Amino acid sequence: MAGSAVSLYLDPQIRDWVLFPITLVMILVGVLRHYVMRLLQSPPKKQPKEAIREQRALVQAQILRATAANSPIPPTFYRSISQGLSKGLGDGSYLKEGPSKKDEAPTPPNPLTDPNAMDGMMSGMKTQMVMMVPQMIIMGWINFFFQGFVLIKLPFPLTLGFKSMLQRGIETQDMDVRWVSSLSWYFLNFFGLNGLYRIILGSDNAADATQTMMASPFSAATSSQPGQPQDFNKLFKAEQDNLEFSEGLYNWVAQDVETRILRKYGRKV
Amino acid sequence: MSTDSNDAAQLLYPPNVQYNGSKVYTIKFLSSCFAGAAAGTLGLETWLGFGLFLFSTLLTFACLYVKCKAKPAKYAPGGLWDLLNPGQDNMFSFLLVWTLFYGIVHGEITWQLDPTASHINTVP
Repeated sequence: MAGSAVSLYLDPQIRDWVLFPITLVMILVGVLRHYVMRLLQSPPKKQPKEAIREQRALVQAQILRATAANSPIPPTFYRSISQGLSKGLGDGSYLKEGPSKKDEAPTPPNPLTDPNAMDGMMSGMKTQMVMMVPQMIIMGWINFFFQGFVLIKLPFPLTLGFKSMLQRGIETQDMDVRWVSSLSWYFLNFFGLNGLYRIILGSDNAADATQTMMASPFSAATSSQPGQPQDFNKLFKAEQDNLEFSEGLYNWVAQDVETRILRKYGRKV
Repeated sequence: MSTDSNDAAQLLYPPNVQYNGSKVYTIKFLSSCFAGAAAGTLGLETWLGFGLFLFSTLLTFACLYVKCKAKPAKYAPGGLWDLLNPGQDNMFSFLLVWTLFYGIVHGEITWQLDPTASHINTVP
């Protein structure tokens, strides 16, 4: 085969029958994956009123606290909400089972036996499977059909280490690394089509490869247990303390607003 | 004091932030695609190609800056750097489109200009 001094000439039929089809197939498979994921995702289970109230009470307290320093709520409202929440959190009336009995300590539910947590982990696993299987299939397809010839010349040089990966199936020793086989075109597409998916399918699409790779099954499992095995009793106690702390920080944004307006318009010194 | 950054974050309106973010992302993606097409069609090699990418990033940034009326902090959380950086996805998209157009343009033209090499590729 020619060395790096002489250019190789590529049949335009290679271009038509390999370059475009691989790209087209990858785009379509990505879109397919997204819709399959959407169909496979089971809708969240309807939870009983007590469970929802438990989670929402925590969120409400956090929202109240978040804006405490520049609060848009007048003092009377803020204090009544804050104290109502504080009392509710403290005596356990927001807990799922009602106020805990004094003699037994509440235990957090075991994640392995709690059915709700299992569902969360299952959906994470399903996501992983749906992402990986088409990628494997496409790689196998490309290796089978499009093997043994040079496809394209990369416009940028790479180190020799990439030669074994990118020129698989082409038995030459000293051909420039810039001439690559179809598998490398697959890799380029794999990374480069994420932006296109984001535009076609909207962000938060299931075809995004980089997000799947970053989210391993472990993170899927931990993120899907947002409330179930956590000990709400302890959380409520902590939240109660935080609420009292924020009450000290509280400052109404419209405090003395009359004086400020008058001063702004120069009517009062 | 951490409450200052919290205060600033509270004042942002989330749906607007999201809308702006996705618009800016789309603009960056399209500009990197067009830059890739330009680089490939012109047949630019390594450093020139990346130079064109850099140039297109700066051009996009300049246009966005003008559109923000010179106050990027009001339109994008994270201000200047958010408008400037092209994003990792867009880098790969640039590479993809650059390689595609380089292959299309480069492969075809040299074949046409050198008929003595036609014995390598037999056209039926």
